[in-house]
Amino acid sequence: MATFADRWLLWLFLAPAIILLALFMYYPMVGTVIESFYETSFISPEPRFVGWAVYEKVVASRDFPEVVWNSIVWTLGVVVLQNVLGFFTALLLNQGLPAQGMLRAIVLLPFVLPGVVAAILWRFMYDPQLGLINSILIRAGLLENNAAWLADSSTAMAAVIFAALWKGFPFSTLIYLAALQNVDREQIEAATIDGAGPIRRLRDVVLPAIRDVVLVNVVLTTILTFNYFDLVWVLTRGGPQNATHIFPTKIFEAGFGQFRFGEAATYGVFSILVLAVLVSLYVIAQKAAVNRRGTA
Amino acid sequence: MRTSSLASVAAGAMLLAGTAMAQEITLQFWDNQQTESGLSQFQQEAVDRFMAENPDIKVEVTTIPYPEYQQRLLTAVQGGNAPDVATLDQIWVGAFAQAGAVANLAGMADAAGISRDRFFPGAWDSANFNDGLYGIPFNVDVWQFSFYNQDLLDEAGVDPQSLTTFEGLRAAAEALTGDGRFGVGLFSHRGEDTVVVVNSFIFSNGGAVLDDSGACALNRAPAVEAMTYLQDLAQFAPEGILNASSGSMRELFLNGSLAVEFWPALEQPTLQKSDINWGFVNGTAPEGMTPIGTFGGWNLAIFESSEHKDAAWKFIEFMVREDVNGDVVDLIPANIAAAEAFLAENREGPERILEQLNNAKPRPLSARYLEVADIQLDLYQSVFSGEDVQASADTACEAIDALN
Repeated sequence: MATFADRWLLWLFLAPAIILLALFMYYPMVGTVIESFYETSFISPEPRFVGWAVYEKVVASRDFPEVVWNSIVWTLGVVVLQNVLGFFTALLLNQGLPAQGMLRAIVLLPFVLPGVVAAILWRFMYDPQLGLINSILIRAGLLENNAAWLADSSTAMAAVIFAALWKGFPFSTLIYLAALQNVDREQIEAATIDGAGPIRRLRDVVLPAIRDVVLVNVVLTTILTFNYFDLVWVLTRGGPQNATHIFPTKIFEAGFGQFRFGEAATYGVFSILVLAVLVSLYVIAQKAAVNRRGTA
Repeated sequence: MRTSSLASVAAGAMLLAGTAMAQEITLQFWDNQQTESGLSQFQQEAVDRFMAENPDIKVEVTTIPYPEYQQRLLTAVQGGNAPDVATLDQIWVGAFAQAGAVANLAGMADAAGISRDRFFPGAWDSANFNDGLYGIPFNVDVWQFSFYNQDLLDEAGVDPQSLTTFEGLRAAAEALTGDGRFGVGLFSHRGEDTVVVVNSFIFSNGGAVLDDSGACALNRAPAVEAMTYLQDLAQFAPEGILNASSGSMRELFLNGSLAVEFWPALEQPTLQKSDINWGFVNGTAPEGMTPIGTFGGWNLAIFESSEHKDAAWKFIEFMVREDVNGDVVDLIPANIAAAEAFLAENREGPERILEQLNNAKPRPLSARYLEVADIQLDLYQSVFSGEDVQASADTACEAIDALN
């Protein structure tokens, strides 16, 4: 049983983290929620309480459904592709290939590049006239004329997702590789002796063994992707014609581009709500994993 | 006796130190660093000169890259850490004035004899808001000049002067497009360079963004005609207009695959360093009309939170002086006399640039300019996407008028 001194020590050690979290996370978060009920902008610094009016205005705007839809497409697209590609790359890197160390380093390279640098790189790659992608596709006979990937509403989101995939899949690879290395070799060998082929071993041995990691990784990448800003902003600024505007870019544009803090705060609150759901899922996934390990 | 002498000396020293401390003022001056022209060095030299002339004032210069500058200023104002003096983009003046962030300089300017006739009219007007003067013009430029590749024009048999008319530019663009080359560098990414270029076609066709009463004029005939003209012209521009900027067009112009690019006079130093055989004309208007450009540039403003407004004003007076202004800007000095000397020394075709500066119009002087510009960007992207111009302009005007 914990003594008074133990409890006191516990709070003492927790205090710095709690204070920092309260100061830099919860205070701005609560401030954002409060600000969303006021009409505030740079040009009208005196806040005016308007209740749900800003919410009504935002939800009724033409931009809101576009931002919601884009955020869903963006998050789903990146998370699914990143996890699938990350998993299969991890499988490949777990096969004991020659020069494995170097291969792992090469695969991880995009992840260590700063987001803005990666975005600038992809801007050049996607350039309709000077970009590498059009050049390769035209030479390969897959494209007749230069395509404006980032300037066409029908291709911009896919192009941005592809760039994010390149940047983000090493993160999933890293996590899955660590998980794969912890899969019991004896179980795999036993399945092999029992006549299980590679697909069956993957489905019935490997995937169940790393199920918790997959779950946590999917939730984690969902949170990170939903919050992604720099790559999208540098590549398209949310354009063309709102085709790639997601919550973070819209918040930035409303707040810092147009000085409409109330509207930015309202988008921020919607964003917090979505993230709260995702974080809850993450916590539930982690608890489930701990419980499973406890009962195993 | 000895003790009292020492005490007197110490007291005197403290008094002197105290006086010196009381007199020394440190001004924080923030400026936008737009180019790599070495401005900081010239600026620091001018600041050193100011400090030599005013030994009681120390100036600390902070230069911030343009993409971050607006947010840094905004955050500083919100956080109560604004500098004493800063350059403000002309399009921010209304918002900063309305927010009470910058001081009305009308009284100080009157007392110092600083008036409109010393500056380009559009530049001076850009600092005026709600009967107040919220900045002194520092530097200016005009969007746009049409910079052309003389070799490509010769090859296609195009007379550069033909680029100054709507009809001539279209014919030239058509003749110059083909074989991987493009006639005209149109762009429409979500940036202010898009707004100013399209504005200048609208202005040159007799249109406006807002009329004198502040109502949207983008859905009226002159503006709609100009945008329809640009929509048609887009077929001779490089692919990807909706995500292209003036910077992307510069890359194509410099590699010889674009015949005509739209830039302010600021482009000249870059072209002077290139191998391109270039020239320029002053914008484009319908036959018989004068091309009207869109003003760009920066004003010097004093922040309300400054505790040293008099010293800050002294600094502004110094920076816009004829013998200083030309040394500390990399656009064009807003002081006309300084501009004449600067252009003669640093730019090709100074008379044509001066003519364009005198004809140019500022963007709408509105506290909600950034929201207006955002709606304009939606409109211009719709136009370049091939949507119906009149219908798109009607939608834009509805949104702009709803801001009031």
